[in-house]
Amino acid sequence: MKKFTNLLVKEIRELVNKQLIVSLVMTMTIFYFVGNLAKTEMKKAAATQKISVMDLDESDVSRGLTAGLKTANFEIESIPGKNPEAAVQAAKQGETYLLLVIPAGFGESIVRLEPREISTYTFLRSFSVGGIRKSEILRAVISATNNYLSNDILKKKVPDVPPDILKSPIKTKDFVIVKDRMAEGSASAISGFVWSQSFIIPIILFMIIMYSSQMVISAVAMEKQNKTLETLLTVPIPRTSIVTTKMLAAGIVGLLSAAIYMIGMKSFMGGMTGGIGSSTIVSGVIKQLGLTLAGRGYVLLGISLFFAILCGLAMAMILGVLAEDFRSAQTLILPLMLMILIPYLLSFFADVQTLPLPVKILILAIPFSHPFLATPNIMLGHYSAVLYGILYMAVVFFVLVFIAARIFSTDRVLTMKLRWGKKKVVL
Amino acid sequence: MTTVLKVEGLKKSYGTKEALRGIDFEVQAGEIFALIGPNGAGKTTTLRIVSTLLSPSGGKVTLLGYDLKKEPERIRENISYLPEEAGAYRNLKGTDYLKFMANFYADTQEKTEEMVKRARDIAELGGALGDKVGTYSKGMVRKLLLARALMTKPKMAILDEPTSGLDVINSLEIREIIKKFAKEGISVLLSSHNMLEIEFLSDRVALIDKGVILDAGTSGGLKDKYQAPNLEVVFRSAVR
Repeated sequence: MKKFTNLLVKEIRELVNKQLIVSLVMTMTIFYFVGNLAKTEMKKAAATQKISVMDLDESDVSRGLTAGLKTANFEIESIPGKNPEAAVQAAKQGETYLLLVIPAGFGESIVRLEPREISTYTFLRSFSVGGIRKSEILRAVISATNNYLSNDILKKKVPDVPPDILKSPIKTKDFVIVKDRMAEGSASAISGFVWSQSFIIPIILFMIIMYSSQMVISAVAMEKQNKTLETLLTVPIPRTSIVTTKMLAAGIVGLLSAAIYMIGMKSFMGGMTGGIGSSTIVSGVIKQLGLTLAGRGYVLLGISLFFAILCGLAMAMILGVLAEDFRSAQTLILPLMLMILIPYLLSFFADVQTLPLPVKILILAIPFSHPFLATPNIMLGHYSAVLYGILYMAVVFFVLVFIAARIFSTDRVLTMKLRWGKKKVVL
Repeated sequence: MTTVLKVEGLKKSYGTKEALRGIDFEVQAGEIFALIGPNGAGKTTTLRIVSTLLSPSGGKVTLLGYDLKKEPERIRENISYLPEEAGAYRNLKGTDYLKFMANFYADTQEKTEEMVKRARDIAELGGALGDKVGTYSKGMVRKLLLARALMTKPKMAILDEPTSGLDVINSLEIREIIKKFAKEGISVLLSSHNMLEIEFLSDRVALIDKGVILDAGTSGGLKDKYQAPNLEVVFRSAVR
């Protein structure tokens, strides 16, 4: 055990080098600052906004509209004069992002049911999310005013019928069913909410598997490049311990690095969303449908991720042996990256169940697909699919470890290498 | 004399290429036995097989009675191997590297410290042992590695081109160290291109070419046999 610990500590010390620490600190700092900056911008967008208004009508209806804007946290800057072109020029000079021009006779035109157009101008001074949100708020205010006015008109014209019935004679009540549970709600709203809550999971999976695998490949390649492997292979320690410590060290450091990156990422994403978007109604429906990852779900996802990491490490170990030096190791990581990237991208855009059979088999044959598929499967209660995935990854892992251990206990650890010039594996 | 290493009919092939075609030799306790020959003669392959890195295609190797094929772990406990182009972990300090290696051989902390102290004395790198290996010159790395190989007092030190690429002063120092440790009872199996080095260091020499041992004996004995002034001429005559 002492020898094993000795080797493990060395492997961890080799991996936790200045480059890794600097890269982690830099990324965390960037995430933190960009996240905070975004949060400030989003808060600014949600705070009181200036809007220039040229009201050429000055009727009750136009005043109602501007009152609505004030309620929506807009600070009205009235532009005097009668010329809309001049209003645009005046607004251009100022700091306002929005201009609203209400034409003369607007109120009367509404009453006559011959509505005149009001003009909205959005000054795109940047392409930031905050800037776009300002015009969205304005549009929402106009839409609310429209709704109010149309209700008012309908009440006057058809006093006996509620305006709601006139505007939407067909009423719908949406239900969503997940296995044996049913709840009232919109499928698209629920899907959107689940996605917004769980989209981070594939990113975490991708980063952890990538990190750990890259570390193992590099560790083996560096042993070869620095000519330390031969010495290590002649010390009195089982070859399986050499394989295991390299994988374990990379697993530990990979997990820690990914955790640190994810903390930074969370801070960044928190800033980007500005803490908006979580609807208590939708989240209630989510709970009712059991579309959460509590307890058993997290355990299963954790086990699935654990075995995916192990598979990645074992594959990386074999690929590392093929590398002649650190540079060739960077090339050899490519097939592994592709195997992780395919299910990662698919998890965002496609449903594996609906894919053609050969593609489905191919996807399921990639061990890294299973943790990506685990989240939706757990949420939808398809636990057996998750368990089969774990079992499959366990089998793949043991086969790979057997191969890696065989390679390390024979000449091949020194003689096997991929020669790009000759494009063949020399055994 | 006690036989430490016995090599019988050793063969090794890489695919269709025969690197060793059946070689035999023995190394006694405290003896420095050298393999000399040109590039590709089979010197490094022999050393790599004895140090358990490569498995033989045929023949038998026993070290202290342990069969190489059946008990490689026991052999590793009793040898130290210094490859020709060996390196040390660049991120570790010299002392940390020695401690790391000593921990594989020592059961207790005291033994580890004892080995590291011995290595310090062998390497004579002084305060540089507190620096990272990445900052060392080639000669310093070689001394560190030789100290690592000898600090455990192995039954057999296997040294592949121990002074390869070093300047005269460093080479002389390393030869003195090897000679000193052999006198303390460590058997040495080494290979070299440098015939002068072999004459100075070895008790017995084997001339190897194309995977076959052409002749073996003491430097003096071989020179007498081939009526040659030095080992270089002996080798040329043996090849003919």
